[in-house]
Amino acid sequence: MVVALIGILIGGVIGFLLPYTYNTAYSLYITIAILACLDSVFGGVRANLENKFNIKVFLSGFFGNSILAAFLAYIGDRLGVPLYYAAIFTFGGRLFDNFAAIRRLVLFKNKSI
Amino acid sequence: MLNKNKFTLATFSIIIGIFISTQIKANVEDYVPVTIRSIENTKVEIEDFKRDIDELKKIIEAKEEELIVLENIAKGDENIIDVLRGDLRSNMITSGYVKLEGPGISIKMYDNPDNEIVGFDINDDIIHDSDVLNILNDLRVAGAEAISINGQRVMPTSEIKCHGPIIRINDRSIGTPFIISAIGDPQLLMASVNAPDTYGDILKNVYFIGFEPKIEDKVTIPAYRGDFTFNYAKPKGEGDI
Repeated sequence: MVVALIGILIGGVIGFLLPYTYNTAYSLYITIAILACLDSVFGGVRANLENKFNIKVFLSGFFGNSILAAFLAYIGDRLGVPLYYAAIFTFGGRLFDNFAAIRRLVLFKNKSI
Repeated sequence: MLNKNKFTLATFSIIIGIFISTQIKANVEDYVPVTIRSIENTKVEIEDFKRDIDELKKIIEAKEEELIVLENIAKGDENIIDVLRGDLRSNMITSGYVKLEGPGISIKMYDNPDNEIVGFDINDDIIHDSDVLNILNDLRVAGAEAISINGQRVMPTSEIKCHGPIIRINDRSIGTPFIISAIGDPQLLMASVNAPDTYGDILKNVYFIGFEPKIEDKVTIPAYRGDFTFNYAKPKGEGDI
């Protein structure tokens, strides 16, 4: 958990310092992809705390989810239907689920639940 | 194994962080339902409506005054011919058939007098109908009440059209220098064509076109010398406002 937070902070600083930006037309897709990635990392943190972490599952989830989410947003844009809501609800919901599990794992680390 | 997992997590967290901060840097304003800007737009709309309401109230007041005048006529206190003459006079003034005088500005515009040309194109150095139109529009925004160009009254129906080296207005040809006179708040009119970044300022300082605005205590605007004939437009209703 701490590792993930510190990592995001470091990444944020690096991102601010790097001079690169992308076209704002893609911002919606990037936002959705960021959400999917966040979900994957939270899932990874949870799995790590539960000692079930598998690097293959994590990597495939990280890239697969983000690409699928961005693709959904893109297709939705083309079709005129906001399909990215599907990604927002799924990943947003799972994000909170994972966070709840992490909280319980961290808070009751030394006790049996 | 645990350290390796943590390392992977940290690496990918860093990637997310980079993405998030790049996204923040991109400064996107879309996809937000209520922004400060939209609130301000609504505020402006509300103010517009309030102004409309105030204007309607003024119309009501004017109508009530008219009603009093009419009642006085009915009672025999006022002569109907005097009232109608007054009406005719005010209608003549609003329709532009009366010579007007008042404080305002006069602008002298002429082609770039230098030998050296400014841009690649000689067209950049001469005045066009669009330049005159833009200046007229700026003056109207600043609240000009009456405008004339080289002695031609600018009416709501006046055309300003390029005809080679001259422009045509009210079906008459006029050549440079164009002298635009306008009655209104002199400071405001002056600012509307002379302040930095206005169209007049750009004409003068970027294209070096002759542009000399001058505040005048007394500007005379001649009357419109044409007539209105409506071939297609027909009045609808009974002249209600």
